Amino acid sequence: MSLAIAGMGWITPLGSGVNSVWEQLLQGEEASATTISEQFADRLYSVFRIPESAIKGISHPRLRRASAISRFAAAAGLHALESAGLKLEPRNAERIALIFAISNGGVSYTKRFYHEIVGTGAQAASPLLFPETVFNAPASHLAAILGVTGATYTLVGDGAVGLAAITMAEELMVNEALDYCLVVGAEEIDWLLCDAYRRWRLLRMAPPIEPFSNQNRGMILSEGAGAIVLARDGFVTIERAHPGGHFRRRADAEEILKRILRDLSRTEIDFVISSANGTFVDRAESQALAEIVPNALVYTVKPAFGEGVGTAGLWQIILAAQALHSKELPPVLHANHSVPLRLPLSRTPIPSARRAIVLSCGLNQQAAGVRLAIH
Amino acid sequence: MAQADRRESTNNPARVAVTAAGVISPLGFGLAETLESLRNARDCVTPMMRFSVTQCRCKTAGQVSDARLLASHAQIPRSGRLHRASHMMIQVLQELMTQQPEFEPELMVIGTTSGGMSYGERYYRSLSGGGDLRHAPTWIANYPAQKPVIDAQSVFGISAPCHVIANACASGTNAVGHAFECVRSGRYQRVLAGGYDALAEMVFVGFDSLQASTPEKCRPFDRHRTGMVLGEGAAVLALENLDVARERGAPVLAEMIGYGISTDNFHITQPEPSGIGARQAMERALESADICAGDVDYINAHGTATVFNDAAEGKAISALFNRVPVSSTKSMMGHSLGAAGAIEAVVCLLALQHQFLPANVNFTTPDDDVDLNIVANEARSAVVNTALSNSFGFGGTNASVLMRKYPRLSGRSQTGDE
Repeated sequence: MSLAIAGMGWITPLGSGVNSVWEQLLQGEEASATTISEQFADRLYSVFRIPESAIKGISHPRLRRASAISRFAAAAGLHALESAGLKLEPRNAERIALIFAISNGGVSYTKRFYHEIVGTGAQAASPLLFPETVFNAPASHLAAILGVTGATYTLVGDGAVGLAAITMAEELMVNEALDYCLVVGAEEIDWLLCDAYRRWRLLRMAPPIEPFSNQNRGMILSEGAGAIVLARDGFVTIERAHPGGHFRRRADAEEILKRILRDLSRTEIDFVISSANGTFVDRAESQALAEIVPNALVYTVKPAFGEGVGTAGLWQIILAAQALHSKELPPVLHANHSVPLRLPLSRTPIPSARRAIVLSCGLNQQAAGVRLAIH
Repeated sequence: MAQADRRESTNNPARVAVTAAGVISPLGFGLAETLESLRNARDCVTPMMRFSVTQCRCKTAGQVSDARLLASHAQIPRSGRLHRASHMMIQVLQELMTQQPEFEPELMVIGTTSGGMSYGERYYRSLSGGGDLRHAPTWIANYPAQKPVIDAQSVFGISAPCHVIANACASGTNAVGHAFECVRSGRYQRVLAGGYDALAEMVFVGFDSLQASTPEKCRPFDRHRTGMVLGEGAAVLALENLDVARERGAPVLAEMIGYGISTDNFHITQPEPSGIGARQAMERALESADICAGDVDYINAHGTATVFNDAAEGKAISALFNRVPVSSTKSMMGHSLGAAGAIEAVVCLLALQHQFLPANVNFTTPDDDVDLNIVANEARSAVVNTALSNSFGFGGTNASVLMRKYPRLSGRSQTGDE
């Protein structure tokens, strides 16, 4: 079964709006990093944040006390529905499913909530904050804002979770009682996350992200949301979703990526939207790509956006759809030119492009892939 | 995937067998101990031992013994680094694989709410308090929600992709229900479904801050109920295309026949008071199974024992069903959040296999506002052909699954039977 992309919403560190962000990427622009601090530590981290203008005008009673992740998701979800020309009403509210992909979730409120417990004791714990710490709080807010009354799922995973959500959408859409599936990926940044990823030797202290570098200097975290409306008909289709699997050690990532690529490249592939982000992922992906799809162009957006973890997969899908639609690829920024891959180092026309693979290798042992086609 | 695409069909839904299961909870390690605790209506809620609760209203929880849990996995490489949740997942998968060593899942669907939360807590306490952070990389690596699933898969050489569903307290039932749909649609033939959660201070304090947990006994549906107690555990079920299971001679423990899901959007923590969300989930499960309410012999309720949940669920059950026996087994083991739906699916499985109704313990006084046929305080023998299990979670997410005895007892005529 193939599903089609009927609408898209993009909340990124380069701003919001699919066309506006896409144009900036084509121009070779990248988001500006800011630093983030913490009251009990001296260390500063560089991050790519969402400009306030990107979520301007998004208001709802449910969002009054909600965390940033919920606001990003609401903005992306509303944009996607609007671009699909879809208005939810009680009569069709059951016929759309919502799948929400996250990795770290509402970490800012979680930290605040636990900070009160650690600092003052359990009696100081806030009953207002606690519900916002639950993984499905952003999905719950979004469902309430949109009026979804049918299936709502929150999927948790690493950077590959957005593509797992596409697989799940396929599984749900087998049910003919559903007309649409709104798939949203969202993430918010907190100092705590940066510190955790640094201790895990995956973070670099300042930009740029250098994809496919020989030295794995690390990634910079970012935040935001991506949303797509999946329907049964449309020009850009999710032709095949490979649910992937897990790798036990980082050294094993390459094998599972090859398996995914072999399955998805049974037909000619014009380009691949990779998840290369300056970490161990890059080597695994470059080796797998060079062996399985040596002729495909390879693009990664992470030097421009940062590593969005739970939202990254949706960002990649939107990129692939835009590239298929506009027949161009943006330049890969800060890349190692000597890597044996076909990287578009400048804005590159792809007039005959018909098919693309979105590949995701997560930082926590999960990998998945999706093939898109334009008809 | 290639095979799956060929099989996909909505016109002729496959029947779905439960061919193996594994469970760990305060009721015991494994199916046999769980059955014994259920038959004896054992209240397994005990004073909290895992962390200090001196500032909390609630002082008790359903707890899984660490000594026993960790001792049974001493041979696993680096087992000391794994989170307790990983050990629980390994335990239940081991029990399942012992029953069905040839079961090769194409997909795993697992529910959780907290992942490796207690490792996150240790990291934060050490970081903010200037403590020892030498083990921080281990805590961080074992914190993600998918890690216990991957750890368990690795021990048994399973490489199937995994959906980790975090739909709050409905996660386990959503996982079982979605897995059921995946097999029924023909997209997959063998799916492992389940849930896990381990007690964590932050979550315990969170429910306490909401005054949702009780300093007293957990008394679901009792007029004098004062709230929930938390629990922990894990469970997995092997779901398989029934025809395929029969062809390979696998024992069919029960048949999964229906799943319903709804979102009521009423409030982030409270259910819609009329019970409409719960009712829709149950109605959709009945519709999915193509049976009527009168065919259900037992309901394992969500039954957290909070005033609001039990009132809403009670209204929904009494509106749909005519005095069907109802119990909340959370009264015996606490509420294990993301694991609850999976553990309670196993409870239903045992009820179907052994023809009894699990008890709702600590029940003293019926609630005049909800007209329910509570299985009060003692398990009792009964003819149980069909069981319904409910789970409802924060954010207004509601889920119900239906299971049927296999082979079905004679005397109840329905179509499409074996």
